[in-house]
Amino acid sequence: MIAFERGTSTSFPRSCMGARRGFGSGASAPQCWAAGLKPHFRKFMRRLLFTLLLLLYPLCSQSAQPTRVASISLCTDQLLLLLAGPSQIVSISYLALEPNSSFMAQQAAQYPINHAKAEELLTLKPDLILASEYSDRTLISLVQKLGLPVERFPLPSSIQGIQENISRMAQLLGQEGRGRQLIQQMNQRLEQVARQQPAVRPKALFYQPNGYTSGEKTLQNTALQLAGWRNLAAELGIQGYRAIDIEALLLAEPEQLFTSPYAPGSQSRAQQQLLHPALKRVTAGREMIEIDYKYWICGGPMIADAVEQLHQSLPP
Amino acid sequence: MRPPLLLTQKQLTGGLSLILAVLFLLSLFIGSNPISLFQAVRDALLDTPSVVAMILTEIRLPRSLIALVTGATLGLCGAAMQGLLRNPLASPGLIGSASGAALGAVCMLYFGLSSTLPMALPAGGIIGALAATLLVYLLAGRDAGTLTLILAGVAINAMALALIALLLNLAPSPYAVREIVLWMMGSIANHSMADFQIMLPGILLGWFLLMGTGRSLDALTLGEETATTMGFSLPLLRWRIFIAIALAVGSAISITGSIGFIGLVVPHLLRPLVNHQPSKLLLASAIGGAILLLAADICVRLFPAGTDIKVGVLTSLVGAPFFLYLIIKSRRYQL
Repeated sequence: MIAFERGTSTSFPRSCMGARRGFGSGASAPQCWAAGLKPHFRKFMRRLLFTLLLLLYPLCSQSAQPTRVASISLCTDQLLLLLAGPSQIVSISYLALEPNSSFMAQQAAQYPINHAKAEELLTLKPDLILASEYSDRTLISLVQKLGLPVERFPLPSSIQGIQENISRMAQLLGQEGRGRQLIQQMNQRLEQVARQQPAVRPKALFYQPNGYTSGEKTLQNTALQLAGWRNLAAELGIQGYRAIDIEALLLAEPEQLFTSPYAPGSQSRAQQQLLHPALKRVTAGREMIEIDYKYWICGGPMIADAVEQLHQSLPP
Repeated sequence: MRPPLLLTQKQLTGGLSLILAVLFLLSLFIGSNPISLFQAVRDALLDTPSVVAMILTEIRLPRSLIALVTGATLGLCGAAMQGLLRNPLASPGLIGSASGAALGAVCMLYFGLSSTLPMALPAGGIIGALAATLLVYLLAGRDAGTLTLILAGVAINAMALALIALLLNLAPSPYAVREIVLWMMGSIANHSMADFQIMLPGILLGWFLLMGTGRSLDALTLGEETATTMGFSLPLLRWRIFIAIALAVGSAISITGSIGFIGLVVPHLLRPLVNHQPSKLLLASAIGGAILLLAADICVRLFPAGTDIKVGVLTSLVGAPFFLYLIIKSRRYQL
């Protein structure tokens, strides 16, 4: 490599000067660098350069594609499982196995799990740790101090935020192609729903145990609007997730209530609140519609499933 | 010494009932959103489906009714208990009946039984209340001094609250742990007419059993022996009152959670007005308890929407200093 560079700098033919100045000349740069050498050397040098490049290429791409990725939060689990090659994942969080909240629970079953503990992470020897915006800060600063690279992902509340997360994850994993494909598929499904919007958007509200609802800047709000519903919580000025008073709910007169059961089958006062008879009466006897939590507890391409289900539940 | 107020029984009952009626109406007016109550009543009576009518009949009315019967139950049971045990500090909250009822209800609610069988909830409350009351009674002994009774109550209360916390931590629902405070402080928000119907049978049965005990309690003020020679069977009276309290308090607490101090404070406030006569105190305490809980619930609702203050916090804020005052007063007499 050194000898080769020295050779190019010593004698340079006139015919190649144009190529050095600009892009006008027909001769390409490597040919010109080799031009000053003896003809039988030229071929050798060209081959040497080619082999060197070939040797370098896998080295470069390997450093861009991590092979031991550990995720410690549910939402990074989802994106990792969607985008990574099977040999890239070293561990996912235990939350990824829970079928009510994890969209990728089935695929997650084949990977070792972690409980987001520093000791576990160190023994895994990961070359990349994925965490969410809300992961334990002390844990993250600890593993960072120990020299492990950590990437933190925000929780998106819009389609754009989901796209950004997918692209960023794909880039980190060296799987840009898969990332683009995933975004494209999601966009296609959303566009198909967007083409069949109702003339009058019916009034809907998302109602959760303890009277929580999803206002502006939530995925539920984004999905309701994309599917063709009005989100009353956002219209009432609620930001994020907040409890709505039941009288305020009734006065808003929703035509349909949606809920996402977080722990189906279990009982509590909070969950009993969803059974209040007034909720059924105000929607003219329509039952509350359940949309699985796994579609929007984390931002991901599965939001399209929720949007499609919401769209299908529009009144005829 | 002359009584502080010269009122006949009828005047007292009438006056208290009037206050109760006013508070009940007032509580229907107060909610998180101003609605036209006149229109709501008209719509509800004419059976026109409107949202305001729904808010009145499905949200505000059950809440006020639950406050009314729960307050009345606690006041009545406090008066009966103080009469039976001839102990000024006896009350469902301090003797453990309330926390026992909460424990029984927690067992039923969070482990799925009450979802298939709604009446399992008050049944659990009744069994819990009866068990806790009997346990305290046995621990303290029949002629227990005030202090022994309170200490036994403290022990059983602590035990029941610890078990409630344990069960709620073990419950499958992810929302259970946050509801510990609901069972310890009590709340009557967000209930429906169905909840009221569930609690009503046990409460009415309990009230009915307590209704006829006035004369026996009057006789008991003269001492157990005198009462027995007058022809009153004390074991029978004891069982009757314990079962009645378990029925009424157990049913009420299984819906509201344990609301403190109403059973203690109300009989004390009203006792001078009925010339310290237990038979007259029963009805007055029932109405007084309903007044106190309704007033506390109105105060809770006046806080800005979103601040979910449990009604039991308020009754305890009023009741705890009063409890301290009673302890200091009783100590002065004993020493």
